[in-house]
Amino acid sequence: MKTASVHAALAPLGALIIVLALWETVTRAFSISPIVLPPPSAIALEASRAVESLLSAALSTGRSALVGFGLSAAVGVLAAVVLSSSRVLERALYPYALFLQMVPIIAIAPLLVVWFGHGARAVAVASFIVSVFPVIANTLTGLRSVDPSLRDMFRLYGARRVATLWKLELPASLPHLFTGLRVASGLSVVGAIVGEWVAGVVEGDAGLGILVLASNRQGNTARVFAAVLAASALGLMLFGAVSLTGERMLRRWHPSASGS
Amino acid sequence: MRRRLVGLLGSLVLLAVAGACSRSKEGAQQAGATDAGGTQAAAQPTRVKLALNWVPEPEFGGFYAARDMGEFKRHGLEVEILGGGAGVPVVQMVASGQVEFGIVGADELLTARARGVDLIPLFAVYQKSPLAIMAHASRGAKGIQDVLSSGTIALEPGLPYAVYLKKKYGFDKVKVVPYDGGVAQFVTNKDFAQQCFITSEPIAARKQGAEPSVFLVADEGFNPYVAVVATRRELWKEQPERVKSFVAAVREGWRAYLENPAPANGVMAKLNTTLDAETFAAAAQAQKPLIETEETRAKGLGTMSRERWETLGRQLVELGLMEKAPPVDEFLLPEFTQAAGKTSP
Repeated sequence: MKTASVHAALAPLGALIIVLALWETVTRAFSISPIVLPPPSAIALEASRAVESLLSAALSTGRSALVGFGLSAAVGVLAAVVLSSSRVLERALYPYALFLQMVPIIAIAPLLVVWFGHGARAVAVASFIVSVFPVIANTLTGLRSVDPSLRDMFRLYGARRVATLWKLELPASLPHLFTGLRVASGLSVVGAIVGEWVAGVVEGDAGLGILVLASNRQGNTARVFAAVLAASALGLMLFGAVSLTGERMLRRWHPSASGS
Repeated sequence: MRRRLVGLLGSLVLLAVAGACSRSKEGAQQAGATDAGGTQAAAQPTRVKLALNWVPEPEFGGFYAARDMGEFKRHGLEVEILGGGAGVPVVQMVASGQVEFGIVGADELLTARARGVDLIPLFAVYQKSPLAIMAHASRGAKGIQDVLSSGTIALEPGLPYAVYLKKKYGFDKVKVVPYDGGVAQFVTNKDFAQQCFITSEPIAARKQGAEPSVFLVADEGFNPYVAVVATRRELWKEQPERVKSFVAAVREGWRAYLENPAPANGVMAKLNTTLDAETFAAAAQAQKPLIETEETRAKGLGTMSRERWETLGRQLVELGLMEKAPPVDEFLLPEFTQAAGKTSP
């Protein structure tokens, strides 16, 4: 078992080493300018040099993304439950939920500034807008794909609407719900960074989005890469946390995971 | 995972090939250049690209004048002007050879040099920096220090002059937010201040009924050349005559624009519909004293001095934006300083 997981980790690790080595070699061999494409060694050096500002920026962005993601999870599931309660409601409201998915966040970010002012609140809302739709859509699919015979059984026993939702539909939709949450976890970081570009603050509580802009303005491409990597790490952490939670909950609730 | 790996490898290979290709193309161009070297007005004009770092505005009037009034053509050049916008990586574009010439700030050029990018400055449009801070006159601020004592200020993250002001006055009493390129927030919020180009945002804000006070950062002691034409060393080494012709045409274009900005303004107004004719005319008027100075009258438009570049280098080191100032002699060529006035026919 242990050796298997070691083997599983070896493949991506090997790929990483090969890619980094190739990257380093190519940038050096063709003397590609470090402001166009810095070699991995320069990025690592810059990251270690700027570790303090990277961490505080990641903390700021992480907070906003977490709030945005939390809002997406809560509002998304609630919205899906409401939409699933009646076909008429779904037909009437789903297009507007879809609208959230289509809205170009960079274009409406100035409005967020008008409504919420600059700062963490507007950034969290940007993160929410970008990440809520996958939660709604996936949860809705989950709620709709409950086994009809189970639904019949609940009706036969005279279960009330709330009980059916709580004991049947929600547990049955969990695999879909967690798919939505996993997608939303990455998007929430993207939304926070784009939100910062327009609605963030530059001094004090500046996030990774601001760090990317500032580093780019100063021609410090290595730091841009370092900040982008930090943003990816944030997304991965959130993704990992969601996946882990999902796995645990599914093991307890979902028939397919418990082996029955 | 594997597919992503293949993609990454693929793009790396592509990058390498692109690098190799642009090299061989340069070689070919060089060969062509030596052929046509003697006669400038060769039958076939050489095509070059000039990348701007902002949208067409009077800031670039001389370049459009040089193109549309035939100065470039007279020098055997056909110039494609690429309009820019927020975040256009002009330094990278020039460094990688995507364009022959680009407009950058003197500070950008120095920070790029400090990172080993061999760009050289050829022509500095603004002798005095047009970069400024504007606030509502109703606040009664007497200078930038007053503006920074309350309210909100919009600044582009990482901007060297913002770093300079922060070091000089501190930002603890003011909320700093990202600059969005417009004046909408300024017009609606009396406590909102922002960075600006003296030729642009203040005029736009006045048009919308605001009454801004404008303070030049240059008067605070940070005065880099702005709108500097830059190229990369290889091009200068391989085709010095072509680079010199380009600069001469640019100088003539600016001379023409200063005398009569109307034709080029007309061309730019078609490309940038956010400004009306009146604004173009007002901006062209407002920037004149920053472009034509005592020094340019003696040495020609666009001239650059050693001292100015040295001061800037020292300041950027003090601000922590680079570790060591690049030696001025490495990049400031006599062709574009003392002899500036004489190179133009």
